[in-house]
Formats: sequence, structure tokens, C-alpha cells
Amino acid sequence: MATGILNIKGRIWWIVALVVLCLVPFVLPRFYVYLLSIILLFGLFAMSNNFPLGFGGIYQLHHAVFYGVGAYGTALVITKSGLSPWIAFIVGPLIAAFLGLVMGIICIRLSKLYFGMLQISLGSLVWAVVYRWYSFTGGDDGIHGISVPDIISSYKGAYYFTLIVTGISLYVLYRLLKSPYGSVLQGIRDNPVRSSMIGVNVKKHQLLALVIAGFFAGVAGTLFVVVDNTVFPDMMFWTLSLEAVIMCLLGGWLTFLGPMLGAALIVIIRTFVSTYTLYWALVLGIIFTLVIFFLPNGVLGWIEDAVKRKPNLAEAKE
Amino acid sequence: MLQVKSLTKSFDGFKAVNNANLDVQNGEIVAVIGPNGAGKTTLFNLISGILKPDSGQVLFKGDDITGLPPYEICRKRISRSFQVVNVFNRLSIFENTQISILSRQKKTWNLFTPSSSLAVNETNELLKNVGLYEKRDHISGALSHGDRKVLEIAMALGGNPEFLILDEPTAGMSPEETTRCIDLIKGLREKYGLTILFCEHDMEIVFGIASRIMVMVRGGTIVQGTCEEVRCNEAVQDAYLGGSDVCLM
Amino acid sequence: MDVTGVLNQVFVGLSRTVILFIVSSGLSLILGVLRIPNVAHGSLYMIGAFMAFTLSKLFGGGDMGFWMALIGAPLAVALISLVAERGIFQYLYEREHLMLILLTFAFSLVFGDLVKIVWGGEYKSVPVPYMFQGFIPLIGGLPFPLYNLFLLVCGPIIAILLWLLVNKTKIGKIARAAAVDMEMVGAVGINVSWVFASVFVIGCLLAGLGGVLVAPTVSVTLGMDHTLIIEAFLIVIMGGLGNIWGALLGALIFGLSQSLGILIWPQFGIIFPYLAVVIVLIFRPTGLLKATW
Repeated sequence: MATGILNIKGRIWWIVALVVLCLVPFVLPRFYVYLLSIILLFGLFAMSNNFPLGFGGIYQLHHAVFYGVGAYGTALVITKSGLSPWIAFIVGPLIAAFLGLVMGIICIRLSKLYFGMLQISLGSLVWAVVYRWYSFTGGDDGIHGISVPDIISSYKGAYYFTLIVTGISLYVLYRLLKSPYGSVLQGIRDNPVRSSMIGVNVKKHQLLALVIAGFFAGVAGTLFVVVDNTVFPDMMFWTLSLEAVIMCLLGGWLTFLGPMLGAALIVIIRTFVSTYTLYWALVLGIIFTLVIFFLPNGVLGWIEDAVKRKPNLAEAKE
Repeated sequence: MLQVKSLTKSFDGFKAVNNANLDVQNGEIVAVIGPNGAGKTTLFNLISGILKPDSGQVLFKGDDITGLPPYEICRKRISRSFQVVNVFNRLSIFENTQISILSRQKKTWNLFTPSSSLAVNETNELLKNVGLYEKRDHISGALSHGDRKVLEIAMALGGNPEFLILDEPTAGMSPEETTRCIDLIKGLREKYGLTILFCEHDMEIVFGIASRIMVMVRGGTIVQGTCEEVRCNEAVQDAYLGGSDVCLM
Repeated sequence: MDVTGVLNQVFVGLSRTVILFIVSSGLSLILGVLRIPNVAHGSLYMIGAFMAFTLSKLFGGGDMGFWMALIGAPLAVALISLVAERGIFQYLYEREHLMLILLTFAFSLVFGDLVKIVWGGEYKSVPVPYMFQGFIPLIGGLPFPLYNLFLLVCGPIIAILLWLLVNKTKIGKIARAAAVDMEMVGAVGINVSWVFASVFVIGCLLAGLGGVLVAPTVSVTLGMDHTLIIEAFLIVIMGGLGNIWGALLGALIFGLSQSLGILIWPQFGIIFPYLAVVIVLIFRPTGLLKATW
């Protein structure tokens, strides 16, 4: 049954998308390939944020910390130790996952807004340390010129590496969501009291979601190191976290691929609007306001509703 | 089977449940009645672990379960439904029920087997038993109130309980739905051999299916006994039923 | 580490506390009554500071300029917030917190760019008014800026005014009642919508006021909203949502741990306030004082 998780039609679409994505570097110039890499890794970042947020109902408001810590973890292992970069690529996400566990244990007793605020507070703590620890993290300058293995150091190599890792991560996340654990997590999102009353230890299940989210945010951070060869403290500033949440909502936070779409939209808006005007944030702010008013389920959510004519989930009362 | 001994719970000085005592024997259907605000729902929340009592004890089959978290209590095969519908609104009827069964089978930590291949037969059978099988793919947030109440019961049954707590199972239902729901509860009790504790405002239902009745007033239990005893008890009439006409019926 | 050094940092921290208190009390008011976690609150603070620059310049930059800015800039911010409330926020009171956080974040993006359009990206400085230039000697002979002393006077005055507003005026009483039970207040024939609008505007006015008061002590620049809004949120959460005195207490802890932290460990001084918040929330998950919800 393991492969029966996607129906035939669904699988064909996935394969088509994958083939197109594989051919991109042969068709598009360097800048666009770089941009696509950024979209993929931001998409993974947003989707990992959406795992606890959209599917677990947890106010994961400072997800950038895990992204940044994953990136810094990888960068520091590469630059400060003699270990192979390939090991760094695993260590970075593991550090992020561990941070997810530690912060999760501290925050999980609180719910909703209080959870988010405590997470922001702890995250700001981590940010402040990284920002000031010049001798170790490079302080506000960050670390530049991080060397990665030759095979993925070219822009094409970095792109394919990003594509493969993102693809695997997405598959794992998808399997997780379709597993009993994923069902239970969504149950907790909809109704924690009911979940505990059918025998689910709510906090423990939420904690695992936070660890998983931390890990994949760390993977995204590591991919950024591969693509851009730098890390800097703004990667874990709270504004990036809210941007990630915006990606989730813009694309559709109750859909699997919504955050990826949201990430693509935001990266594209930022890149192309900023070539016309300095004021891309203004455009983004207005677009986002309109989306909240008119498409509360996000773009992909709206498309799904329109296609399937499903009852509007946003109107289903809590 | 279940014994509640001098249970007390107060909120900001207000004693919502005050020295409540209750005894439910195996196989019984016990009704808790009392005016609004008498503390019935609070009592159920205390028994099912959603609230922790200030003092007193809850014993289930001789084990002390006082103050255990809800998920532990559920594993002791006590399930409940809620007065205000409490289901997973964004998930389908099938998924709602399946999650409950998966939880009982301790499969919630299974990370990679697709849910769609697990507990399918059990879920379908349970849905057939409660009459929701035809609507199994409907999103539960969009269901009618009556269906959602029945889904509540299905989810409670998913835990394979011996002891079932129903908090106003027919509240807000139309008369036809109520009749159907009561028949359903009776049928399920036969089928699964359940012991049931429930509260209800509709006296007809209470006297119709309860084997014994407990009366709560202002947080405390004033009488516990058979329907006849309760009907004709003066304290109950004063406090709750409010007149002799009920006794006469 | 000598006593006068510590004392000096205490006074620096207290001056910072005043700014933090003014801004976060406004945020707390809005959160407590309207339930809006207004991320754009920081932008209004920034706009207040930029307005102060413009008004101060318009009136010659001296004492007159400062006083006009002190009155005019908060009013201008209040006007902006009134438009935003009537135009958009009043339709969103029932939305989920998460949506409101993101919506107000979108607003802060818009406000940030509007500031960039109006004032440009350069640093601006607002002169300290003549009458507050110079220093007074503190105990131990340490010179303390007069302007900071002025701030220390402002803080308690605003706290008392706010307390009077919330507890002694009609609108304050209605707002407190509405925070507990909105429908009930509506049912007795009070126009809740306008009460909410007034509370929102007053809260935003406080953000603007904080911006004006901080302007002479810092360089006014884009991005000054980003650090402040997080600090304000943490203060509100730490003190107890919607509780004015909680905001004062939170601001005090935040301001002092910031200034004394630098003394203890110069390099990592900035982590101490966050550490304080974490410790408070671990032991008092819903804040130090009673939250209104």
C-alpha cells in the first residue's frame, strides 16, 4: 500500500513537474536557475513552518530561528571543523531539530498567542547571541564564502542538489501527513480537547511536530548555504518568520503545497517588483491584505475549493 | 463500576461541584439530572479528566483515576461525548472516527504507514452501526447538528469503551432526531455491553431509558435512586421538578 | 563595577522604560479591549518619530518646534489610525488572531514603505530642545541628561492619565465592560463600534507619543519599528495582556535588564531582556499581573 498513497493521475502530474524542473537549467539563464533554487528552499522552509501551523494548529510564529540555526550549524561545521561538508549538511538540520525539541519543551505548556510569544522571545534570544558573538558566528556580518563540495558548487549543481533534497523532504512530509500520526495531528489542530478524550497525548504529539518542523527548516537553511554560500543573522530575525507564515497563508495553509506556492509568489513579487520600484513591500502588503479579505484559504485553497466544490472549510466553525 | 466520592471543584470561590457522590453499577444506565448550572457538565469533566478536582475521589473498577489526564482515562476504556459538539471540523466523518480507532490501537506514533490502509474495516463497521456510513466522506464541519452529535457518539465508541459518558446527547436535536438518537443509544448499549452515564434535560428521555437517576442541585448530589424513588422524593420536587404533577405522572 | 556606574545605568534603563511603557501600554490597551495583536503598532511609533522630525523642523527646530511636535505628531498618528480603523480594522474584530497578526504585519510593510516614500531612507535627527539640553549631577556627581529627566517625569504622568482614563471616565468603563462582554454592552444600547474606535485611536496615539519622545535621543530611521514592536509585544505578554500596570511592570523589567545587562556582560547585554521574558513566562505563563482575557 505504500505507493498507493498517490493515485495514478496525481503521480503523473508529479512526474511531469519533476521532469520540467530537471530540464530548467538547460533552458533558463543562470539568474533564473538561482531564483528557482531560492524558491524551492524557501518553499521547503514555509512548508516546514506549515507542518505545525496549518496541520497542527500550533502558533509557530518564529520558525526562522530553526532555519537560521540549521544554516549556521552547517556553516560552522564546514568552516570551523575539518569534517566533510556532507556531514555538515546532516549536522545542521539535526541541530535545528534539537533546538526545536528544547524550545518545544519550554513553550508547549502554553497555547496559541502565548506559545507564539514565548517562542519569539526564545528565538530573539538565539538571534541576539548569534548577532553579538563575533568570534564564533561572525556577529552581524555573518559568514561568507562558505565552501561546499565541488559537485554542487556550480549554480547548476546547487540547483540539482536543492531540487533533490527538497523533493525528498516534500515526500517525507507528505507521507508524515498521510500517516496515522498526521491524521492525529490534524485532529489536534481541529480540537485538542476531543483529541485528548480519545486517548491522544496532545502535548507529546505537538512536540514531535515541532521537532520535525525544526529539522526541515534546518534542511532549508542548509540548502541556502549551498546555494548562496553565506549565512547572516537576519536569517533568524522575526520578520522572516512572519514572512514564512504569510507564505503559508498566501498559498493556502490547509493545503499541502500551498506554502510552496506562497513562497514562489513572494520571491517572484520581491524580485520583479523591486526591479521597477523600491517599494516592493508596499505591493506585497497590499496584495496580502486583499488575499486575507477575499481568499481566506489562500490561493491554492481557493483553487481547490473551486475545483472540488468542497464546502468552504474556513466557514466550518471551530 | 464507577464510584465518585465527595468530589469538589470550585472556580474563583464558586463551588461548581460540591461534595458530589455517585455510584454506577456494571451494565446500568444512570442519568444525572438537575437545573441549569447545577454542575452536571463540571462533574463529567472531572470524571473524564478534563478538570482536576480540588478534593474527593473517582474510582473506576476499584482503581483510583482521580486527576489523571484525559488520555490516560480514555485508555482505561472510559469514553465521553460533549454537550457542545466537539469533533474535528476540517476532517471527514470517516477520518474523525478512524482517528479515534487508531488512537485506541496505539497507532498514533506510526509515522509512515498511510492512514488510508489502517483500521478501514473497523471504521466502516462502526459507521454502519451508528448509521453514518453513507455520509462517510462528508466534512464534519458542514454536517447537520444531529449528525454531528451522532458522530460524537461514534468517536466515543471508537475507543472501545466499557463506560460511556454522554453529556446531553440529544441537545438541540429535532424530535425525530431525538427519537432516532435514543433508539441508537439503546441499540449500541445492547451491542457493545456498555455502562452509560448521561445527563439530559428532557425528562421523558430520562425516565424512559435510565435505570437509576442522580439529582444534582447547586453542585451537590441530593438523591440517588430508581426512577420511582426520585419521582416521588420531596426534596427533588422542591428543588427541581417544581411541583407534584411530575410525581403523579 | 562601581555604584555610580550602576546608578547611571539604572537611570538610563528607567528612561528607556518610559518609552517602552508608553508604546506597550497602547498596544496592551488595543489587545485587551479589541483583541487585535497590532504588529503595525511599531510602524505608528516610527511614523510618530518621523512626524516629530518634520514638525520640529517646520517650527524652527527649537523649543517651539519640540512642543509642537509633541502635540502634533501623536495627533497625526491618531488621525492615520482612525482612518485605518474605520476603513479596515472594524470589519476584522471577529477574525482569528493569526490572521490579524499577519494582516497588521502586512500593514507594517505598507507603512514602512510609505515612510520611505515620504521621508526617504536617510537617518534623521531631531534636536533636543534648548530647555532640556545639558546635564544635571546625580548622586555621586554623575551627569545625567536633562532630557532623560524630562522623560522620567513624563512616564508617571502618562501612567496616571491612563489610569484615570480607564477607571474614571465613561469611555474607559464602557471599554472595560466591552472587553469582558461585548454583546452585553451592545445590548444596553451603547455604540460599541465607536467605543472600539476610540480605544484603538488612543492606543495608537500612545505609539505616536512614544515615537516623538524617543526621537531626540536616537537617530530616527527606517527599521526602528522592527525591534520596538517585538519588545512591546513581549512586555505586554510578560505583564499580562490588557493590563496597564502590567505594561509598566514589564517595561520596567525590560528596560532595566537591558541597561544593567550591558554592565554585567557588555557583549551579550542585549540577551538579558529576552532572558527575563523567558523566565517570567516559564513561571507565570499568563503574565505577571491579571490579564483581561
